[in-house]
Amino acid sequence: MSADQEEHFKPSAALSLGVELELQLVKPHDLDLARGAADLLARLDRRKLPGAVKPEITESMIELNSSVHSSCESLLEELNVLRKAVVDDAGVLNLRVSGGGSHPFHDWADRRIFPNERFINVVQRYGYLAKQFTVFGQHIHIGCPSADDAVYLVHMLTRYVPHFIALSAASPFYQGEDTSYQSSRLTAVSAFPLAGHMPFVADWAEFLEYYVKMKRFGIVASMKDFYWDIRPKPEYGTIEIRVCDTPLTVRRAALLAAYAQALAAYYLADRPRKPERSIYLVNSFNRFEAARFGFAGELIDPWSGEKRRIGEDILAEMARIEPHATRAGGDELVAELAGVVRGGVSDADWLRARHRERGALADVVRDACEKWRTHN
Amino acid sequence: MDLAFLPALPPAVSQLMLFGVLLLCGLAAGEAMRRYAGLPRITGYVLAGVLLGPQVTGLLDSDALFEARLIVDLAIGLVVFELGSRLDFGWLRRNQWLFAAALAEALFCFLGIYVSLVFFGFAPLFAATAAAIGTASSPAVVLLVQQELRSEGQVTERMILCSAVNTVFAYLVLALLLPFLYIEEKVGLGTAVLHPMYVFVGAAVLGFLASRLALLAARWIGKDEDRQFVLVVGLIVATIGLAHSLRLSVVVALVTFGMLSRNFDSAHVLLPVRLGHGAQIFFVILFLLAGASLEFHAFEIAAAAVVATYVIVRFLGKAAGLLVFSRASGIAPAKAGLLAVALLPMSGLAVVMVRDTVTLYPSFGRELAAVVLSAVVVLELIGPIATQFALRRAGEARPES
Repeated sequence: MSADQEEHFKPSAALSLGVELELQLVKPHDLDLARGAADLLARLDRRKLPGAVKPEITESMIELNSSVHSSCESLLEELNVLRKAVVDDAGVLNLRVSGGGSHPFHDWADRRIFPNERFINVVQRYGYLAKQFTVFGQHIHIGCPSADDAVYLVHMLTRYVPHFIALSAASPFYQGEDTSYQSSRLTAVSAFPLAGHMPFVADWAEFLEYYVKMKRFGIVASMKDFYWDIRPKPEYGTIEIRVCDTPLTVRRAALLAAYAQALAAYYLADRPRKPERSIYLVNSFNRFEAARFGFAGELIDPWSGEKRRIGEDILAEMARIEPHATRAGGDELVAELAGVVRGGVSDADWLRARHRERGALADVVRDACEKWRTHN
Repeated sequence: MDLAFLPALPPAVSQLMLFGVLLLCGLAAGEAMRRYAGLPRITGYVLAGVLLGPQVTGLLDSDALFEARLIVDLAIGLVVFELGSRLDFGWLRRNQWLFAAALAEALFCFLGIYVSLVFFGFAPLFAATAAAIGTASSPAVVLLVQQELRSEGQVTERMILCSAVNTVFAYLVLALLLPFLYIEEKVGLGTAVLHPMYVFVGAAVLGFLASRLALLAARWIGKDEDRQFVLVVGLIVATIGLAHSLRLSVVVALVTFGMLSRNFDSAHVLLPVRLGHGAQIFFVILFLLAGASLEFHAFEIAAAAVVATYVIVRFLGKAAGLLVFSRASGIAPAKAGLLAVALLPMSGLAVVMVRDTVTLYPSFGRELAAVVLSAVVVLELIGPIATQFALRRAGEARPES
């Protein structure tokens, strides 16, 4: 990636979308994380697949990348093709594949770094944080017609970060313990010095000024060094929402993408509000509430200052953007996601229920693998 | 002054003291081997056994070795239980080419040794027996090197699976051959059929019963890792003891126990058992005693060419079986080659098997026994090194170990 390319925002079709899903590779005999990424990727290489399957920082992870879609339905279809291919090839190597934001009981010290230059550099720089970063997230890309639109959308969607956290939360267990959080994964991300959010800039020109300065200081080498909740991705012409845990099913992943797409449709079409600093004043409070309590947490609206339950706020916002969801073609999927909120059972709750019923974290992993394998 | 409270000097050597001293000797030798030679600890344990054994210093005489047999059985029982529990039927069902590879590995190895021994003029029945004994890879070496290197990956997983398959294969073939050996000894047909049946089928039934009991008790205990650990170790030890006193095959009983408790646990009531540090103690003793039992004077009887052929053909047979099905079973040929190298260790059990066979069937002959025992000496020494090399070369060993 040359510096020029990163400073030039390549416009893309508004509301086009794509997702990345980081997945867990598990050994069936003890349900701990496996070391199998390289062998699995070598096998998958011989298939003709849409999108891509890539290595991630440790050898216990792989990442599914969708191609670019305009509709969530076709995205879901493609994710299912990828899911089936990965599950089949993993079966040949006696590996299981699972969604979820964290492995419930693996020991981070056992992880091995995937041997490529970027990952080795990350380890040299961040030490044990890199191995502790064996957590699994979903990234959603939304296409933006211009760089200024991207900056605007990052600000606007920041208000919805707690929504995405609560809707995707699937990491209640970490290092063998119930963390009491809905998403414990976010804490692992927060430890990185460049985690957080984009600074409050008015437009792309101001953003570039900031970025170039950070590069000149030698703090970052590329946009990849910012571990922000939402960041612009100029070379794709997208913004990238990075706060979601990988859900337990591809279907849930597509529902989250549909919601992000509908929100973007609403803000880009209506431009209902201007960015304000208050978005970032309430952000860490809201973000914590969502990671800790999920739908039951409280959220402060940056404009009205009102406090309400995150679950209620999600339903209210979904109702507000409904016409735009319809226009983007994702209304049915967003409605399905609203059903999840009304049902009040997140993936994290499902994992906890499995644990209560079965009694061991190994069983939770087995059930999660089975869910991933069988759910379309 | 009356010093009668003092013991007579030198103090009598108790079993307990012997056990402790053996452990410490093994520890020291294993550590020295790893630090100064970069070789697996197991090689150190074996060499310590050779030094202490009847062949060199004689500190461990054959009486001591005989008395230690229960410890050896205990260690072997623990190992083959683990081995059985790693034989994942589900994997073989999903990847039938892998099953084909594992079978071909055992079969080609068996046939290769058989044909070459017949070529050297040994009677077919005895050649087949010697070939069956050689087919099994040492489960103890394979599992211990894996633990020592903390290796993980396809070569590691397949190495464990293949040694489970070839161990089961070896015992099945032996069970089929024994009646014929009996007939050779002019024993009545009844005994000829019933005795091997009793030893093997009886052991399998014992293993089956132990696995049922394990599943029932685990359901009752619930998912408590510490309690389940005690349960499984208790059942393993009791099964070994019972097999021992009923004169059943300890290996067959425990491999069956491990295999069935793992594969028939459809409700997943058993937690994965990690035998861990406790088992290490028995492994040190196991390899030390294996070293002490190595019969170097076998080389004086066996022709070098036959021993060399036995070792080489054994390896080539394994390699051929694995290579034929490498792509189909999902690994690159280079990795299949490393897998064959990893499977090189020959089981120290062979020594016991050969001795039992010679006692029961004297016509097996000193010479063929010497060939197998010489091969054991060679492979006991280079086997662990080969496995370590293969796992490191495959990039599956933990970098710092």
